Formats: sequence, C-alpha cells, structure tokens
Amino acid sequence: MEEVVRLTSLALAAVAEAKDTARLREVELEFLGKSGSISGLMRGIGALPAEERKGFGEAVNQARIEVETALVSRRRALREGELQAQFANEALDVTMPGRAPNAGLVHVLQQTIDEIKRIMGGMGFEYHESPELEEFRYNFDALNYPPNHPAMDEQDTFYISDEVLLRTQCTALQGRVFEQRKPPFRVFTVGRTFRNEAVDRTHGHTFYQVDAFMVDEGISMAHLKGTLAAFVRGMLGDEVTVRFRPDFFPFVEPGVDYAISSPRLFDGRWVELGGAGLIHNNILRRYGIDTERYSGFAFGLGVERMPMMKHGVDDLRYFFENDLRFLRQFA
Amino acid sequence: MKFTEAMLREFVDSPLSAQEIGDALTMTGFELEEIHDTGGATVFDIAIMANRGDAASVLGLARELIAKHPASKPTQSMADLVSWHDPEGLAAGTISIEADGCTRYSAMLFDGVRNEPSPNWLQECLTALGQRPISFLVDLTNYVMLMTGQPMHAFDLDKLPGERIVVRSALPGEKLVTLDGIERELATGDVVITDGHRPIALAGVMGGQDTEVGPATTRCLLESAHFDNQAVRATRTRLGMHTEASYRFERWVDPQGTFRAMSLFARLLGTEPRTQFDIYPHRRPDLHVSVRPVRASLLLGCEVTPRECSDYLERLGFSPEAEGDSLRCSVPSWRNDVHGEEDLIEEVGRVHGYEHIRTEAPIGSTPVGGTHGGSLRTDRLLARLVRCGLIQTMSHTLRDAHALDAEGDRVRVRTPHSPETALLRNSLLPCLAEAAMKNGGRNLGLFEFGRVFAPAERVSLAVLLTGCTDGTSEADFFTMKGVVETALGTQEWTGTSDPRFHPTRQAGVAGLGLFGQIHPLVAEQCDLAPTTFLAEFDLDAWLTTAEHGERFRPLSRHPAVRRDIAIEVLKSVPYRDIEATVVQAGGHDLEAHWLFDVYEGPGVSEGAHSLAIALLFRKDGNFTDEEANRARDGIVEALQGLGARLR
Repeated sequence: MEEVVRLTSLALAAVAEAKDTARLREVELEFLGKSGSISGLMRGIGALPAEERKGFGEAVNQARIEVETALVSRRRALREGELQAQFANEALDVTMPGRAPNAGLVHVLQQTIDEIKRIMGGMGFEYHESPELEEFRYNFDALNYPPNHPAMDEQDTFYISDEVLLRTQCTALQGRVFEQRKPPFRVFTVGRTFRNEAVDRTHGHTFYQVDAFMVDEGISMAHLKGTLAAFVRGMLGDEVTVRFRPDFFPFVEPGVDYAISSPRLFDGRWVELGGAGLIHNNILRRYGIDTERYSGFAFGLGVERMPMMKHGVDDLRYFFENDLRFLRQFA
Repeated sequence: MKFTEAMLREFVDSPLSAQEIGDALTMTGFELEEIHDTGGATVFDIAIMANRGDAASVLGLARELIAKHPASKPTQSMADLVSWHDPEGLAAGTISIEADGCTRYSAMLFDGVRNEPSPNWLQECLTALGQRPISFLVDLTNYVMLMTGQPMHAFDLDKLPGERIVVRSALPGEKLVTLDGIERELATGDVVITDGHRPIALAGVMGGQDTEVGPATTRCLLESAHFDNQAVRATRTRLGMHTEASYRFERWVDPQGTFRAMSLFARLLGTEPRTQFDIYPHRRPDLHVSVRPVRASLLLGCEVTPRECSDYLERLGFSPEAEGDSLRCSVPSWRNDVHGEEDLIEEVGRVHGYEHIRTEAPIGSTPVGGTHGGSLRTDRLLARLVRCGLIQTMSHTLRDAHALDAEGDRVRVRTPHSPETALLRNSLLPCLAEAAMKNGGRNLGLFEFGRVFAPAERVSLAVLLTGCTDGTSEADFFTMKGVVETALGTQEWTGTSDPRFHPTRQAGVAGLGLFGQIHPLVAEQCDLAPTTFLAEFDLDAWLTTAEHGERFRPLSRHPAVRRDIAIEVLKSVPYRDIEATVVQAGGHDLEAHWLFDVYEGPGVSEGAHSLAIALLFRKDGNFTDEEANRARDGIVEALQGLGARLR
C-alpha cells in the first residue's frame, strides 16, 4: 500500500512539473501506460492475501483515477498556454494586401452592353446584329433620308465606295429587319458606329450605339416613353425621369430628342441622351406595312454615355485605349 | 442661329423673360444653346432643326413662340409683315430666268442712296451678334435676312450695264471672283446671276467682287430671290463654301417672302425704290393635308381635343377647316416639311407639349426577347475566356498597317483624313499587340473579339498571353492551347504555316484559325517578348461547327484506381499517336488519362523524351490492384509498338 501512495505522489508531482503536453504524455505512459508503474502494481495483486486484494485493487484504481484527473486538468492548462503561444507566434499583419485570384475581366463597355441586352431582352426585344460595313441604301435610303442630306457628306461619313460605308448609325438594321419580318416585332441591336469626326474628350470617330424599335398595333409616343423610362431606370436607377423635346430625324415623325434627369446623378439637370420617335410612315409603307393598322417607335443612344454618367468617366478616349489602370476600375 | 432679344421683341410682345422665351422655344424643338449679355444686348443662340429653314429667322421663331405661348402676341411690326401683299402686276423688266434652279427672282432698284457706315443701332446690333459692320447697304441685307430669313444681295447698278440680270446655268470654263476675293471655277449646273454676259454672283451662295457695293455706290439693285435647295447645295459643296445664304436656301426659304423682306429693307433704308421687278416661273402649288384629331391623340399617347388641334394649327398658320372627323389644313408657303398627317400630328404635339405624353408599357405579343442562337453561344464563349483569367480589350476598327496584319486584300477608307484611320483592321492581333505594349508588354493575358475585314466582314476572336498570367508559372504554347480548347472546344489541330508565327510552334484548323508563339522577328518588330503567344479564330466559322451537347453521364459508385507510367519514346512520335494507343489499349475501363510530365536530359536517350502519363481506371464493381496492373501492362505493351519503353 505504501507503494501505491508513493507512486501516486510521484505521479502527481511529475504531472505538476510537466512543462508541456509532450512531457505530460511521457508522464502518462510512465505511470498509467501498459507497462507504467501504477498499472504495474496490479500485476502484483496475485501475491497478496485474498482479503487484501479487494482493498489493494480499489486503492490502485483510486490512484489511477486521481492521476488521470490531474493529467486531464494539467493537460487542459498546458494546451491552453501552448495555443496562446502558438497564436502569438502565428500572428499576421492583417493589413497586408490580399492576393487576388486571377479572375479575368470584362471590358467596361461590354459590361454595359451585357446590361443593355438583359434589360431590352426582358422587355421582349430580340437582339439582332447587322454589318459594320454597311450599304449606303440601308444606312440612308431605307431610313427616309432625302438625297444629298448633309449627313451623307464625305467629311461626316467614312466611305469605302459610293455604295459602301462604315455605318453611321445602328438604325441601319431597321431596313434589314423590315425586309424579313412582318409586325408585330420588337428588335434591338448594339454595335459600333463610325463618324468622320475629330477626336477629343467628348467626340470619337468610333462609338457604340444601341438602337431599338418595335412595330405593333396602336403603338404611340406613350409606349416609347414607357419603354425608354424602363430602359434608363434599369441602367441608371429607379429615380431617373425622361423628358421629350421635339427634334428632327429623317426616320421618325414625330421625332424627339430625349433627356433624362436624376437627383442622384445630375442634380436635377436634364441631360440629353439620344433621338427617338414614331417610325416614319414613309418607311413603314416602303415595306408594305399598313400604317392605319400598325405604328412603331424607334430610339437610339450612345453606349459610352452610360458608364460616363454612372461612373463619371470624363474622356471618351479611355474606352478604346485598353489601359488596364482604367479597365480594372470596373471589375 | 444668333439674334438679340430686341430683334425678337420687335416682332413679339411677350410677358416672358429672355430665359423663359429660350425655354419655350426649346420645348417647341428649337433648343436654346446659349443666352448671354454683350454690351447691353441679350443674345440668343438657338439650334435650328435641319428641316425647318423657315425658323432660321427671327420671324420664324416669333411664330413658334406665339404658337406655343398664347400670351405672347405679334407686334404691329410683325402683323404688317405677315399681312403683307405683294404688289400686283409687276413686270419682269430687265430680268430673265434661264435656269431651272431659280424659282423666283424679285428685285428693287434704288437711286440716290448713300452707302455710308450704318446707323448706330444697326452697328450695335450686328456687333452684339459677333458680325463686323461693313456699310449700310450690306449691313441691311444681313439684318433683314436675320429678321425675315430671306437672303438678299445688293449689286452696284453703276457696275451693271443695262441694268440687266440673267439667271442661267454656268458655261464651261467660266470664272467668278466672289466677295471673299477667291476666283471660283464654275461648272455646268451651277446657277449663276449674270449681267447678260458674265457671271456676277453665285446664286444663293455669294455675290461677285466686280459688282460689289462700296462707299461710292449711289445706285443699287437689291436681289431677293428664291433658289432651289438642291442646286444651291450642289454648287456650294463642290466649291467647299458655306454661307448664311446657302445655309438658308439649302433648308428652305419662303418663296412668297421676297417682297415682304424687301419692303422691310426699303423702310429701314428710308428710300423708295425707283422701280421693282418680279419673275416667278415656278410657283409652288397649294398643298393641303388633313389630320384626324383622334389619330393625333392615339399616336401622341395623350388626349388632344379637336378644338385644341384646330387652335394649335391655326396659330402655326395652317388655317385648319373641319371636314368630317378631319381638319383640312393649308400648308403655308414658309413650310416645306409638312407632307402627311404624321407631320401635322407632330405640329399638334409640339404645341400641346410633350410633357403631356403618358408613360405606358407596350402590350401585345411578340416572340421571346433577348439573345438567341449564335449570339448566345458567343456570349458563353466570352464568359469562358474571362474564367480563364483573361482581360477583355476593345480597340479601334480603323487603324494603320501593322506587322501582325493578316495577309490579303484590305478594305480602305476612300478619303482618310489621317493615316491612323485609313485601313479597316483585318486581324485583331495588331490590336492586342498594341494593348500589350500599352500595359508594359509583360505578364499579360488579353483577349478581344469584334469585327475584322479580311476583306469580307466577319467576327474574330484573338488571345494574347505573355509571361506569368496566373501568378505561378510562365505561359507557354500549351497554356495557350489550353485556353483555346477551353474557349472553343477540342479540335483536330494540325500544323500551320502562318508567317507571323514561330514556324515550328503553331497549330490550327484550316478556315477556323490558329494559335502559337510569335515569330521572333515579328516580336522584334512589335517590341514584344519572343515568349508571346497569340491565337486568332474566325467566330463566324466556329459558330457553324457542331456544339457539344452537354449530356449527363451517370456517376459510378465504385472507386477509381490510378496507375502512372513513365515511358521513354522518340520525340518524333507525336503525342496524338501515343494517346490513341493508350485509349485503344485501355478500353472501356480507362475512364481518364493525362500527361503530367515531360522530361528530357540525363538518363534519357538522345532524341527521346520521357512522358509521364496518369491512367485512371474504373468499372462497375471494384477494380482490384491486380486488374489495374494488368490493364496498365496492356497499355505499356501496346505502346511498345510505337517504340516506347517503360522507364
């Protein structure tokens, strides 16, 4: 029995003295392991008188429990200390920069185009494309331009030949659709247009344009206004309002230029966005559409205007310069 | 068009302030571009719609203001002008017209005039508008043109022998020194004013120097004519001229207004004409157009009553008369832009105010909106490229030549104004090369898609990789191949021979495109790293290739077993053959295989390399180690047919 007491106090002292959990594991094995000294006491139980065996067994078990309890509590204390040391050791400067994954990037104009496609598609407008290198007749004749209209001047338009030019407006899609389709239809396109202009902050010889049009029974200026309002609200926010002002374009009558206003974006000023109107009866008739039954509207606008308004980009030239410092601002 | 507030108030008695007048004109379609004070005068600058020549005058804008804002009334001065009746029974006198381009020629002949500097009011008015006063006669023609829209010209009668005016087409070889001192070569078709022998003015564009009025002028012939807009435009564009007169004639000048304008001129000059002539061979027929108020309400998307329609049209001078459900309108002579009902509906709308238009969503049935077919497939392709970590660029279609241009015919702009916009791109590779240079030329992964003209228009896709783009390893040929196959799907690549690319490091599919390493000499020319990898594909052609159907394959519940082999084989044996052998020998149980290492050097024979290939086996039921080994051995044995041996 003295041996039990001696080993117990030895074990408890060793537990108390252990400096780390590794040493504690050694202590555990030394006393409680398969060949540990306290475990070993039980092997001598057979040599004891029968009446002492029960008492001795209980004492050893008691010693075992006492040491195990001490081990658990000491381990907990040591582990806690060790974790604290580990955490202190592993401390990071969390203000150091993150490593960005190689995520790729959609050009800011493409993002705008995707947004336009989503909104117009949602209103039932089908996306179509037409050539950049367009025939004179689709760019002008089909759109009710009188012969010798000033817009046809060589100094305003990039001609390839008398019959072929770089389209000056995406509205050139209209004639191509009218040739193929019967109303009702809702169609839009987004694409490059070209004007022979000197380049500066607000003018480019190349820019993207949205052009949308629909023909159906009873289409009015109210439907134009409703569609435009939904479009600009989708693009720029729900508080945007649309204003019409009379204007002249050969392919619409009545024709308007539309401006938008938003307390957030323009301090309540009206900012002109593009041209619109009811598709000219001359055009509808040219394609055999009964103008008493059908009417339609068309509108167009420059795509670059959207990120310029939304993000405050103040120079049109950035969009085609591919400076990553610019493009990465719109990730 | 610029004019002063005083000029407008000469014609309109309005309670509106200058700014309010500008706003009202803006809402009728004549946008106030600027309003500013110059030395006591308030100057308006108003943008005139291209089809409204009549509004390029104070008179025209006064009419618009009065129609839009009924509390603004015409002054006596305007009423006199508007109710003007041309003198009746005037003779052609010494004037004759021999050209189609002249609709009407009216003239007043004045004696005893003194062409001194203009009175102060006139000088101040023109100065405020940024014009330089010249002399009373000249300044008056300019002032009256601004007020009435009628271009005029004063000839010195002493320089006009016989007081003859013959309007005719120019003869070949004829010349005229215009007022600006430039000698103009005339062409057949140009309408000219002659003295019966030689040209003295370009009709509707500019007068001639020889017959110009000067300080010594005491007698003058005042021309107030109407010329055909096409003729004036053809002449002035051919000669590269642009004048206040041609601007108005090209758009529209009221042919009924020639005498009205001259009456104002005579009144301001303070001299009665000695005589006046008129010749009007091409009188415009009266034009009537009807409008249904119901139709106007329908198309405008706002309620306009018949009474309102009638009022608006009356105020604009259309003299509407009710005729059943319609209003029959007489198109005034100063308007040439009204031909059909829709034009009158616009007139009604402009006066009624577009702010009354409702905001409605269109109803009705149309096919499904959005993106379909090829456009949709292209959108998904672009998304895959972005997932590859590439940055999308957008470059100009118009450009100059570049070492990376494709071979073949080019599309050229007929009259480029600079070499930078002379050619249409026939490849996107020059665009990407320039974008790479713009951004340092190193460690970049870029792509662009867009139209090229080679010489036919088509949609192209190009990729550029150089240096480390994923943060871990340098891009090489196979990085590019991986990107291309991720984007376009695996293809049967074969060797190609594009001179822009490294001769032994390029591959592609005929008619679809290619990829590879840039040719070292081209890289030098473009200042790009020789380890730049390029790809360009015809997306229109790609869209005609079959799309892989994404069909579900059931997942096996059994574990896969992997075996790796390393074989030594001659480098001349293409991997495609090795792969085919592996697949054939592996049979149905070989679920996947991939090359994971290529080695050459010590331990491998000269001319050979070592390929490490992973083999993944799976079947219904468990694959035992022995089965896996047997399958692997079968593959190795088959590879021996290609001269390969296990290392």
